[in-house]
Amino acid sequence: MLLKRLSEAMGPSGFEDEIRNVIREEVTPLVQDIRTDVLGNLLVKHGVDKPGPRVMLDAHMDEVGLMIVQVCENGRENGLLKFRALGGIDPRVLVSKPVFIGEARIPGVIGAKPIHLQAASERRKPLAMDQLYIDIGARDAKEARSLVKPGDVAIFATQFGEIGEGAIKGKSFDDRLGCALLIEALRESYDLPLFGAFTVQEEIGLRGAQAAAYGINPDIAIALEGTVCFDVVGAPSHGQSTVMGAGPALTVQDGQTIADRRFLDFMIHVAEKHDIPYQLRRVKGGSNDFGAIHKVRAGVIGGGISVPVRYIHAPAQVASLDDFNNSLLLVKAVLREIEQGGFSL
Amino acid sequence: MKDLITRLAQEIAPSGSERALMLQWMQELKAVADETLVDTLGNGIATKRGEGPHIMLAAHADEPGVMVIDIDADGFLRVIAMGSLEPAELVSRQVEFTNGVRGVIGLEDGVKLADASLNHLYVDIGANSREDAEKRIQIGLGGVVVQPLYELAGNRLAGRALDNRVGCAIAIAAFRELAAACRHVTLALTAQNAVGGRGARTAAYQINPDLALIIDAAPASDVPSGKATALSLGKGPAIKIMDGTAIVPLAVKDHLIAAAGTLGMDVQYEVWPGGKSDAGAVQLSVDGINIGGVSYPARYVGATQTVVDLADVENALKLVLEAAKTYEVR
Repeated sequence: MLLKRLSEAMGPSGFEDEIRNVIREEVTPLVQDIRTDVLGNLLVKHGVDKPGPRVMLDAHMDEVGLMIVQVCENGRENGLLKFRALGGIDPRVLVSKPVFIGEARIPGVIGAKPIHLQAASERRKPLAMDQLYIDIGARDAKEARSLVKPGDVAIFATQFGEIGEGAIKGKSFDDRLGCALLIEALRESYDLPLFGAFTVQEEIGLRGAQAAAYGINPDIAIALEGTVCFDVVGAPSHGQSTVMGAGPALTVQDGQTIADRRFLDFMIHVAEKHDIPYQLRRVKGGSNDFGAIHKVRAGVIGGGISVPVRYIHAPAQVASLDDFNNSLLLVKAVLREIEQGGFSL
Repeated sequence: MKDLITRLAQEIAPSGSERALMLQWMQELKAVADETLVDTLGNGIATKRGEGPHIMLAAHADEPGVMVIDIDADGFLRVIAMGSLEPAELVSRQVEFTNGVRGVIGLEDGVKLADASLNHLYVDIGANSREDAEKRIQIGLGGVVVQPLYELAGNRLAGRALDNRVGCAIAIAAFRELAAACRHVTLALTAQNAVGGRGARTAAYQINPDLALIIDAAPASDVPSGKATALSLGKGPAIKIMDGTAIVPLAVKDHLIAAAGTLGMDVQYEVWPGGKSDAGAVQLSVDGINIGGVSYPARYVGATQTVVDLADVENALKLVLEAAKTYEVR
């Protein structure tokens, strides 16, 4: 299953080799041209000799992860690994989670003091990132160093699975769901020049997308994403961002973009015309690659289409297959409408 | 100038909602420009080709505001900010949306203002249900905290959006005069400054001038317990040395000082490490653009209303004109 392959592949920001290889294998038969740019973005062309606006679909390959920064040498810490986050990770979600380090997938566990040994004051305070460590079962620093070195990266060791009624769980749904949407969209051909960008380093500042968009120089760009959803445990409507199962989420404003109302209204019109459910992403925090893309060169019009993801940036995330499928319908319908001149630049 | 400022300051254009205002102004400037354009991000750009180096006059046209992100079952709205607006600036004030709808900003009962975030605020537009509110409001709609414009004693103006419609007025007036003098000049009324110089970057990419002069407010602190070292109202325009986005190249700074000397004008110097002007976005566009800054001192910069001195504004215009006319590409 494509979603399983994408979700379980390794690709923390700056270390996207494995996920890029997976995606390259998937899309090579579907596109006219494929290349990897200097930053590591995987760029594909689909129908480039056709007339019409240059449309860029973007999904970032990278995921939040951890980087090993030190192999501890002394005393009881001997052989334990200190780490830092790559991308925005809440330290509270890390304790006791299994991880894989590097290409060799060395298994490790993020350790912390057990509850038995904690003082009451310690229990009330979440552990900070620098109080945590990864334990790979090494007897000492020498053994640890034979397996892992500073600069190696780790990902959550979460298996993909289908759960409940039409739901999925796994890691890195932000943004492997977007990657899957882009791959699926490339299976059809469109009467316009379509450019696909599977980008790097989104989680540390939308870095790959900036270079990708400069190179592609699109007329219209759409970022395909997995986005924040917290429609649970008493969150008020304005504190949910999105609702799982309510359809693809369209951005009105996030940390890096104020939506262009003309394109937002166009996407809403397309959704309503094709009877595809949609919702508006109702939170300012967070961002997606469109934040970098729209500021490139003379400016680019477009927007974001996102699948709601519960527990985003955490080791185990939950999303709805209905939302995924409806997002795909919307992406394709938007392309068809642009193809037919439904959006004038 | 006062009439032009008054006219500009009455317009409602929070970040991301500048297009209508820009279309109106570009229409108006068609008579003096060779080309006008409202671009993808909402910048208004007017170019006049003529003699001398290509000078870009940049002034951001947007203002901080709020955006509707939720409508509850009873018809109350929730908002997020565009730019930095603190709850204390918003509570109990009236907001006007870009479609003319007004509302009052309330704070959830039981929340202390000191602890409040925008999540605790709501807007009451007088609707009695979600359906009722949706007839007048849509999610994504922008608005501003309204505040009438008043003339204070001593040739001073107080009101909303003076930062930076004053700058727009200076830039428009300078553009008209430079165009009439057959100079090569481009006016850029930029969008989305309050959210991080977004419009300025794409505007500069298209214009790629020999020199860009950024015209914006700088904070005057000649107020009770204000910082002793900073700017005063009425003591002249401020030549930008640096702000939080850019350090002005020495040659441009010296050129501006020399221009002020030619005019025999008193000037001040802006050193504002926290300032978020368009300067940096313009400077780092294309392969690097030469920038300078002429600022007018304004009290209460960052709040929902500011106070400016019209003599500073007049002198800022003169300084921009002198600097633009005498600039030489080296």
